[in-house]
Amino acid sequence: MGLRTGIRTGLIAAIVTIFLILIGVHMLMGRLLQSWFYVPAHWPGVWLMVVLLGLWAGSRAVGQMKARSWGNTLLAGASAGIIQGALVGAALYLLASITQAGVDLRAWLTQMSQESIAALTLGLAPLPAAGFIGGVLLVSAVAGAAWREWRLRVHAARLARGERTVSLRERLLEIPAVAQVSSNPLSRRVLMGVFMVLLLIAPFFLGQYWNYNLGTVGIYVILGLGLNIVVGMAGLLDLGYVAFFAVGAYTMALLTAPQPHHIQMSFWLALPIGVLLAAIAGILLGIPVLRMRGDYLAIVTLGFGEIIRILSKSDVLTGFTGGPRGVRNVGHPVLFGKDIGNEFYFFYFILIGVILAIIITRRLEHSRVGRAWRAMREDEKVAQAMGIYTLKYKLMAFAMGAAMAGFSGAIFASRNSFTGPEDFVLLVSINVLALVIVGGMGSIPGVILGAFVLKGLPEILRELEDYRVLVFGALLVVMMIVRPQGLWPASRPQLERPRPEEEALEEAPAELVEGEVGS
Amino acid sequence: MALLEVHNIHTYYDHIHALKGISFELDRGEIVALIGANGAGKTTTLNTISGLRHPREGSIIFDGQPIHHLPAHEIVQLGIAQVPEGRKIFSRLTVMENLDMGAFTRRDRAGIQEDLERVFKLFPRLKERRNQLGGTLSGGEQQMLAIARALMARPRVLLLDEPSMGLAPILVESIFQTITEISQQGMTILLVEQNANMALSVAHRAYVLETGRIVLSGPAAEVRENPQVRAAYLGEA
Ligand SMILES: Nc1ncnc2c1ncn2[C@@H]1O[C@H](COP(=O)(O)OP(=O)(O)O)[C@@H](O)[C@H]1O
Ligand SMILES: [Mg+2]
Repeated sequence: MGLRTGIRTGLIAAIVTIFLILIGVHMLMGRLLQSWFYVPAHWPGVWLMVVLLGLWAGSRAVGQMKARSWGNTLLAGASAGIIQGALVGAALYLLASITQAGVDLRAWLTQMSQESIAALTLGLAPLPAAGFIGGVLLVSAVAGAAWREWRLRVHAARLARGERTVSLRERLLEIPAVAQVSSNPLSRRVLMGVFMVLLLIAPFFLGQYWNYNLGTVGIYVILGLGLNIVVGMAGLLDLGYVAFFAVGAYTMALLTAPQPHHIQMSFWLALPIGVLLAAIAGILLGIPVLRMRGDYLAIVTLGFGEIIRILSKSDVLTGFTGGPRGVRNVGHPVLFGKDIGNEFYFFYFILIGVILAIIITRRLEHSRVGRAWRAMREDEKVAQAMGIYTLKYKLMAFAMGAAMAGFSGAIFASRNSFTGPEDFVLLVSINVLALVIVGGMGSIPGVILGAFVLKGLPEILRELEDYRVLVFGALLVVMMIVRPQGLWPASRPQLERPRPEEEALEEAPAELVEGEVGS
Repeated sequence: MALLEVHNIHTYYDHIHALKGISFELDRGEIVALIGANGAGKTTTLNTISGLRHPREGSIIFDGQPIHHLPAHEIVQLGIAQVPEGRKIFSRLTVMENLDMGAFTRRDRAGIQEDLERVFKLFPRLKERRNQLGGTLSGGEQQMLAIARALMARPRVLLLDEPSMGLAPILVESIFQTITEISQQGMTILLVEQNANMALSVAHRAYVLETGRIVLSGPAAEVRENPQVRAAYLGEA
């Protein structure tokens, strides 16, 4: 048994390792370690990645094993390591030989520089280099297998003693101070207050760059809260959400910029108009797609988002929209004769928007409208049977979500002094949807956390720039598997667990009974 | 005049002619059973009354007012509530939230509270489990919840679609007991069932539906004695 899982895991691990080498992730690791921990050379990071991949292979092989014994563990770890080591070694041998023959691999693989291969061969000839990396992988895999076996045994022993595994949240609550704060509304409020004060004074200390980035996170929080209404609360999968962001941005731009319309309206007037027009656009999109659900709705809204972008880009409409070059010199907010269109003031402006969006979302959640959305999300037909006019509430969801997107779009355009078609690519919709999903659908703190993780972290991890989309995809996949409810899921405090011990009637659970009848 | 009158309705699913001219009526306080095999058109009949589908021909008169062109939410407001086939409770919402949804069209807080107590008296198990997710209830409890949820709309007519479906015999017994109780409190009930035996034992009158047509009607006791019914629906030779 150990051998089979070992070989299979070794194959997968080899493919992953070769892929990561081909796209140059080992060099990235090397540079990350260099810049973060002041490591003097890049090879420690490179080899850290190699060792980690070996550990992972061995550990994964043991995790997949059914029959558990130290002999099996050794077999699984060794076979995984041998396969992984041999294949990766062979790949390195090929790469090194080709490079030695004077072929520049960068023509096909942009990351495969001489330097990148040298980091793995360490100056050795191709064959010994292959042997070396293979050996490192083998040793790491065996170590990984042993480590996993040990962890599993500890875990099993804990279970045997009747100790329950606890989630991170429960573990945090075990700390007395945390439990006190989270259960006491007053200290919670105090904590919130401290956080608010910190946020309020932050711009004085952060400087332009971070004020700008925090502002961007805030814009995405508003976008996320808006989409959360549509997707999380009403259950309508909208992939063209960026369209409403675009309506808000273009309204602001066209009404306040000198070109192409020479209207040059005040920012303060253009803002509500942008919100209003976005809400109207939401309703206009809503009407034709009212009777669609699920995947059809997703595809049609996706199309709508692209249509808006393509229209804004089209040459025919250049006179109206500014065309592919966009709109420059978008107006700034002016207060008491002072132009307050810089990162510093926009930070506060966006913060007010975020607070408004949170208040609106919370009110909606506990209102009749929120109740209707919840019913619709669970089952549209049954919602109708409960007397809920689903068409009306769908339109309201689209309009509310679009209004929030319009607000952020208008601020976005003014803050950048510019807007153009490339601000509204499909990726924006996907980003917003991803932050809602990663954070936790239907949860306000979840959306905020999601925006920080997906928009804020990449700014901190500048080195990751080239890999942003890759990391993004991987993060989404991992989240879907290990934590489908999101980082900070919507909480349901008064929930009780089923109480099987007080069954008054002798009765099997619903599924069982139905199964019997069906057969 | 009957409380609910169904005149010659024809309902289609695109080209499928599911109801081919059905007429019947419900008097105040009656339990009327609509029995028929799988695919006869029972659910379609209920959905046509509740406005989830609309008849292409014919009319439905509720308390003197035509309702066949009205959307579902207005029909609920007029006082017709449906317990859907397969229960269809909101499984990710709590029992309380499910009941709240049932009262969606109402705004009389006091009345809702009153009905909540009435419903909990009818189904004490639901009271015990009011903060539990609907999906974690057993089959019988889910059926109770589905009925309770419909009652929360304070309807004048209750449409029940196969309440015995998928339940163990002892639970079927208790559900029908409750249906009788609800009826005794003055509710008018249209009861759709494949379990003809049970349905006919609690109903006052019955209609037999076959491939979209009513083939037999009369007092429940008479229908029960009909040789064809005995052969086809009561499993007797
Ligand atoms: N959604 C649907 N689309 C197409 N045909 C349907 C649909 N629902 C029911 N039918 C058809 O209508 C007829 C009546 O179905 P239904 O009212 O569900 O019967 P019953 O409830 O008596 O089992 C059946 O022939 C069925 O195939
Ligand atoms: Mg049916």
